[in-house]
Amino acid sequence: MTSAAGILSYNTVVVAVGVAAVGFAAGVVGSLCVLRKRALAGDAAAHATLVGVACAFLATGRRDLATLLAGALVAACAGLGMLVLMRRFTRTRDDAATALVIGVSFGLGITLVSGLPAWGYANSAGLEQFLLGHTAALTARDAWLLGAVAIVAVAAVAAILKEATLVAFDAAFAAATGWPVSGIDYAIVGLVALMVVAGLPAVGAVLVTALVVIPPVAARFWTDRVGTMVVLSGLIGLAAAAVGVGVSATRPGLATGPLVVIAAAVAFGFSFLCAPQRGWIARRAEAARGLTVRQGGGDGEAGR
Amino acid sequence: MTPPTRPIVEFHDVTVAYGRRPVVWNVDLVIDEPCLFGIIGPNGAGKSTLLKAALGLVPLVGGEVRFFGEPLGRVRSRVGYVPQRETVDWDFPVNVMDVVLMGTYGRLGWFRRPGDRERRLARECLERVGLADVAGRQIGRLSGGQQQRVFLARALAQQADVYFLDEPMAGVDVRSQERIFHVLDDLKAAGRLVVVVHHDLRTAAEWFDRVALVDRRVVAAGRTIDTLTPENLQRTYAGHVDVLDELAQAIAARGRTP
Amino acid sequence: MIFDFPKNEVAGGGFRPWNPAARWIVFAAWGLVLLAAGCGGRKPPGAVDGGLLRVVATTTVVADLVRQVGGDRVTVDCLMAPGIDPHSYKPTPRDADRLAGADLVVASGLHLEGKLTDLLERLGRSRPVVLVGDSLPEGDLITVGGGLFDPHVWFDARLWSRGVAPVAEAVAAADPAHADAHRDRAAAYVARLVALDERLRTQIATIPASRRVLVTAHDAFRYFGRAYGIEVVGVQGTSTESEAGLADINRLVDLVVSRGIPAVFIETSVSDRSVAALREGATARGHDVGVGGTLYSDSLGGPASGAETLESALEANTAAIVEALADRPAARAEDAP
Repeated sequence: MTSAAGILSYNTVVVAVGVAAVGFAAGVVGSLCVLRKRALAGDAAAHATLVGVACAFLATGRRDLATLLAGALVAACAGLGMLVLMRRFTRTRDDAATALVIGVSFGLGITLVSGLPAWGYANSAGLEQFLLGHTAALTARDAWLLGAVAIVAVAAVAAILKEATLVAFDAAFAAATGWPVSGIDYAIVGLVALMVVAGLPAVGAVLVTALVVIPPVAARFWTDRVGTMVVLSGLIGLAAAAVGVGVSATRPGLATGPLVVIAAAVAFGFSFLCAPQRGWIARRAEAARGLTVRQGGGDGEAGR
Repeated sequence: MTPPTRPIVEFHDVTVAYGRRPVVWNVDLVIDEPCLFGIIGPNGAGKSTLLKAALGLVPLVGGEVRFFGEPLGRVRSRVGYVPQRETVDWDFPVNVMDVVLMGTYGRLGWFRRPGDRERRLARECLERVGLADVAGRQIGRLSGGQQQRVFLARALAQQADVYFLDEPMAGVDVRSQERIFHVLDDLKAAGRLVVVVHHDLRTAAEWFDRVALVDRRVVAAGRTIDTLTPENLQRTYAGHVDVLDELAQAIAARGRTP
Repeated sequence: MIFDFPKNEVAGGGFRPWNPAARWIVFAAWGLVLLAAGCGGRKPPGAVDGGLLRVVATTTVVADLVRQVGGDRVTVDCLMAPGIDPHSYKPTPRDADRLAGADLVVASGLHLEGKLTDLLERLGRSRPVVLVGDSLPEGDLITVGGGLFDPHVWFDARLWSRGVAPVAEAVAAADPAHADAHRDRAAAYVARLVALDERLRTQIATIPASRRVLVTAHDAFRYFGRAYGIEVVGVQGTSTESEAGLADINRLVDLVVSRGIPAVFIETSVSDRSVAALREGATARGHDVGVGGTLYSDSLGGPASGAETLESALEANTAAIVEALADRPAARAEDAP
C-alpha cells in the first residue's frame, strides 16, 4: 500500500470531490462576501451552526449529514437574524454585536455537542466532529449532497453577480436607482450561510470562515476585475481543497480541514508576495524605480 | 420644447429627522422648468439630506416629494443620481467602463447582462465627460476630478430627465470643475433639469440659473440674481463666520451675472 | 465542601433588603434553596445506610464487579449510564455530591475516566478509592505510548479477575461484619471469569485464521485480541478523542479488502460515521463488508439488553464476532443494515 495508491483510492476520490466542490463554491461566494464587507457576518453564521447540528439531532434523532446540515443552516440564519435585529433595535455596533452572537451561540453549541454524549443520549457521540470537520467519514451520498449545494450556490452567484456587484460597490446609487439593496444583501449573506454550512463536514465550524474569506483575498491580488476575481477565488479554493485532501490521504493522523486552510493561507502568502502589480515584491520594485502605481489621466493632479 | 404641465420636482412640507433630531423641516420647493438649480447653504445645513430624502435614501418624517407629479417609485428611470465620492471604496475591482455600465442596469433589470447597445451608450457618455481613453483603467488609479467625471458619466448613462448631484465639485481641481459644469450646461440645453448641492458661493453665483438657500429650512429660492442678495445670505449664513469672505465675493459676483 | 449551607449564615453575607416585603421574599427564597439542598440525600459518610454499604462506581463494568462481590449487602450507584463514553465524560456537580456520600469509590483506572482523575485523587484522601486497573501488575498491561497503558483490561476475563481481590478487600474492610460473605462471592466470581475465559478462547478459535481480524471503531479490544487470539484494528486510536484521518481509512480499506474480512463492528458508545465510509471504500473495490453487529466496548448494556453484566456482555460480543466472521466467506449485500 503506497502513497500513490492512497491518493487514488475510492475514499480519497469521494472526499476530494466533495471538499473540492465546497472549496470552489466557498471561494466564489466568498468573493461576494468580501466585496460587500460581510466577513464578520459569515463568521457569526459559522459559529452558530453547532447549535443547529445539536438541535437537529435532538429533534429528529437522526445523524445523517443532510439532517444535521439542515439544522445547521437554520441556526446560521437565526444567528444572522439576531445580528440584523440587534442592528435595527439596539445601539450595539456591528463588531460588538457579532462578538456577542458568536460567543453565545458557540458556547451553547459546544455545551450541547460535548454534553449530549455525557448526558446519555444514545448515538450522540461524534457530533463534536463538526468542530474541525471529519472528512474521513464522508460517504458518496454526502459528497453528492455537497456537490449539489455547491452547484446551486455557484449558479446563484452567477445569476445575481451584476446586482451584487452594484450593491457592493455603491449601495446609495443602487438604492436611488430602485434596486432592493436590503434584499440583495440578504441574498448575499444567505449564500454565505449556505456555504458555511456546506463547509462544516470538510473543515468544521471553527475554520470554515477561513475557507470563505482567504481565497477571495488572495485572488484580489491578481486582478482588477470582479468577474476574474470570482473565478480565480473559486479556483484557489478548489486547489487548496485538493492539496489538503491529497496530503491528508497519504499521511496517517492528519486531519483534512486544517490542511485545506493552511493550503489556502499559503496561496494567500504567495499572492501577497508575488502577484504582478499588486504584490509586495512588485510594489517595492516599482517604488525603487521611482514610478508610482497611480498616474494622473493628464488633466491635472495625480493621485486622489 | 413645450413646458411640462406638472412641475418637474416638488417638495411639499418635507421634514427629515435622524432619530429624534430634525435635520430639515417644512421644506417647500417647486422646480418647474429645466435649468441648472443649485442648493446652497452652510455646512450641516441638511442640503445632502434633502437630496437623499428626495431619492428615497433617507426616510421622510413628514411631507412628500414628487417628480412629474408622481412618487419616485413610478418614475425612477427618469431620475439620475451622482452621489458623493466618499461613499465608495475606490479600491473596488472595477474599471471605468464597468462603473459607467452600472448606469444602464436600471433599464436592463434583473439578470440581464449589458450588451452592445449598453456599451455603445457607455462609450458615448465617457466621451462627453472626456474619459474615453481611460475606459479600461481601474477606478482607484484616477484623479479626484476623473473619479467625479466617471460618476457623472454613469448618471448620463441612466438617460434621465432629472439629475441630482451631491457636491460634485468637492475636492476636484479647477479644470475638471469647468468640464463638469459644461456637461451640466449641455444637459440643461437638452431640456433636462439638473439639481446640484453645492458648497462654493462664488461659482454658484456664476453657474446656476436658480438657487435655493437652505439652512435646515428654505431661506429663499428663485432666480439667482433675485435670491443671492446680501440679506438672504446673511440670514442663511448667520453665525457661520468662516464664510464671510465667500459672502463678500458672492455679493460682488452677483453684480456680474446677467 | 462547596455545597454546605449552614443555617446560621442565611441572613448574612452583606445582603441588604430594601423593605419588609423584599426581606420576606429573600428569606423564603433562601428557605427553598435550603430545602432543595437538604433533599439531596446527603448523609455523613462512614455510617452504613440501613445496613447497606454505599458504593459509587464510575463505569458500568466496575459497577457490575462491585455488585458481584458485594451481593445484596451493597447499594451501587453508577455515575455513567450505559452507552456513555468514559474517555470524554466530564463530572457534574451532582456527581461530586454522589461521590461525597459514598462509603467506597471504585473506578476502572488507568486513565479510562480521563476527566475524573483529579476528582478521584481528592476523594482518595477522605475515603477508600479503588482503581481496579491500577491494581494489576504492570507487566501484564499493554502500553500505548507516552508512558500510558491501555485501560480496557476487562476484555481479558482472566486478567480482569485479578482485579476482583482488591475490590473484595476494600468492601470487606468497609463492611467487616460480612467480610467472609464478600470474600466468598469474590472467589466464586473469579472462578466464573476464568471459566468464561476458556470458553471465549474456544469460540474465537472456530474462526478461520485468515479472517480472524476484528475491525472496530476504536482500539478498545487489544486485551481481547491478545487473550483470545484475534487481530484487532481500530479506526480511531485508543481514545475516542482522536480523529480518524483519511489516510487511516485508506489503510483500513486496504486491510479489509486484502484479507477478505467479511464484517466490521460498531460500538455502542462511539460514533460510527467512519464505518460507513470504510464500507463504501471496500465495496468500490469489489469486496462487500457488512456490519457484524454492535459491540459493547466502554460500557455494558442497559436493562433488558441481555448484556447488563460483564459476563453476558463478553458472551454477546464474542457470539456476534464469531457469527459474523466464521460462517460466511464474504458478507452478502443484504446483510448490510
